[in-house]
Amino acid sequence: MDAQALQTIVGVIDKRMTRQVKQYLDICARCAICKDACHQYVGTDDLTYLPARRAELIRQVYKKYFDSAGRLVPALYEARDPDDALLDELYTSCYACTGCRRCMYYCPFSIDTQQIVAIGKAMLIAVGRGQEMLGQLADAALFKGENVEMFRDVLVSGFKDIEAEVREITGDPEATIPVDKQGADILYVALAGAHSIRPAAVIFHEAGVDWTISLFEAANYGYFFGDPEKARLIAKRFMDEAKRLGVKEVVVPECGHAYRVAEIFYEAWAKEALPFKVSHILEVVDRLIKQGRITVEKGRIEGRVTYHDPCQIARNGGIYEQPRDVVRALTDDFVDLIPNRAEQWCCGGGGGIVAIDELRDVRLKSGSKKVEQLKASGASVLACPCENCRLQIEDLNEMHGLGLQVRQVIDLVVEAMPLPRSASAS
Amino acid sequence: METYLQITSIWGVYLTAFVFFAGMGVRIYQWATTPRSPVPFGMFPKPATRGGRIAAMLRDTFVAPHSAQIEPRMWTFAMLFHLAALAAFVGHLRLVQEYPVLPKLLGTEGMNSFAAWAGGIAGTLMMVAVLYWIGRRTFGAFKNLSVPEDYLLLGLLLGVIVMGNHMRFFGDVHAAEYRAWFQSLLLFRPHIPEEIMTSNVGWSLGTHMLFVDLFLMYFPFSKLVHAVGAFATNLTRSE
Repeated sequence: MDAQALQTIVGVIDKRMTRQVKQYLDICARCAICKDACHQYVGTDDLTYLPARRAELIRQVYKKYFDSAGRLVPALYEARDPDDALLDELYTSCYACTGCRRCMYYCPFSIDTQQIVAIGKAMLIAVGRGQEMLGQLADAALFKGENVEMFRDVLVSGFKDIEAEVREITGDPEATIPVDKQGADILYVALAGAHSIRPAAVIFHEAGVDWTISLFEAANYGYFFGDPEKARLIAKRFMDEAKRLGVKEVVVPECGHAYRVAEIFYEAWAKEALPFKVSHILEVVDRLIKQGRITVEKGRIEGRVTYHDPCQIARNGGIYEQPRDVVRALTDDFVDLIPNRAEQWCCGGGGGIVAIDELRDVRLKSGSKKVEQLKASGASVLACPCENCRLQIEDLNEMHGLGLQVRQVIDLVVEAMPLPRSASAS
Repeated sequence: METYLQITSIWGVYLTAFVFFAGMGVRIYQWATTPRSPVPFGMFPKPATRGGRIAAMLRDTFVAPHSAQIEPRMWTFAMLFHLAALAAFVGHLRLVQEYPVLPKLLGTEGMNSFAAWAGGIAGTLMMVAVLYWIGRRTFGAFKNLSVPEDYLLLGLLLGVIVMGNHMRFFGDVHAAEYRAWFQSLLLFRPHIPEEIMTSNVGWSLGTHMLFVDLFLMYFPFSKLVHAVGAFATNLTRSE
């Protein structure tokens, strides 16, 4: 490693250091209680994926350059320069980490490995070793943000196609997917692809919600890549759109990290209070069901239904009950996975890992606990309000022959609505 | 003997006190002057009130119920160690000032016997816990996570405990003599009572204090700052 690269890495650690992370690095006792908390360590038995080991790599560099004892007696802490071997392991351990923070839940000091991993990713990005695919996807999102007019016609034409399907499903030839509607109550920021738009549009239409759709997607690869500035700018695209349209509520789709970025992080990143509230689509659907604005009927969903708490929505986002209430409104045969809520096992698909081919093996092995939970539940339908979780669990489903239907929750809702064509809505 | 005790049990204690408090001060200053991330990194469910947050922080710090749930054995040994260390600390307060009520109730013999039992149990539990930690770290599946710092601290701790136990189990010197020595330190008129120097545990005290000095001098520069930092990080859990 040349002197300039070293200086860059040390500079990045200095710039990104926060009081919280400094305390985490100073106090971790390497007790390894986190070993049984991490789905990746449990699934692979590989030290690289032990949360304390992920932190240890960063701590080795931190001790050497930011701690007097580490400078004086580096051997005591195995403090060292960030050489190629360290950066290689750091790449794997940081980009494999799903940021589920289950280790934080069980740690006696509540050490947030995700925040430490964020510093690791920043170190990698600083020397051009950031994960390429995630970086490209983040840049593509930023490009779209800067050149939205270039994309407008294609997007609007896509919305029109989905609108035609919504008209067929609802039997209402007047049903629309409003674009750029000034003063709408809700701005719905979907994911790329019709699947997250169609059922939401059906629900909004049936409930008579005054809504409009965003030209941007909620997914945030800047966040996965590990660049908070890019992450902020990607989220800023639809936050600015919401301000321009004067909406009362921004609603994010069934996507874990998009919810956490929009609801928990964005205001702190942007240093501004948003003039509207941010909700997850299932908070809105729960509200609409409880207000009687949409009708759902039990019996239309066949088989036992279970629910997976996506880490970024549940443990890290605080939404536990509304999705369960929605699912319970659809069926009498609901069973929770064990453990659940704050203790729910991460499925292994978060943090951008589903987009990283070279980590596919680790990802699939890390799903072992989720597979055990799903088998033990005896469920045949999984309601899962996060795209990355669904992609991962679909893979696990196929690999382990679980015979599960892995479903978006809003698809199940539409299926349970008495509509002319609800059964094929998804 | 006298020189050894003067180094470890008089001048070493003063040096240790300085290094420990200054080191902890610097560490806390470093934390306090590093800007906090403005992002709320707490996990859910979060207590609704400030009082609730503090109660949760104290529960998580002193009881660590989630750790108990996931690894009961490690938690049991950790709790045993920390409770026994607390008991030992309370016991050592007799070196500053004799307890007000207990010695009158029990009488001198009774108090010595009580101290022997309580101190003996605490010392034994601490030793068992430290041996467990050394074993777990050396033979566990994650042994490669350990660095020399871990073994150094456990080694120093074992030294402190073994020599303390040696004085407790094999010594014929009681609290009054040790108190005379320790109070002389506090009054900055240090001396080692003859009874200690001529006893069979003079070397033990010297070596106990050698380990105590090294352990506490290293404390602020080690992961043991979790003794203070855990309060802050467990509060961050609910921010």
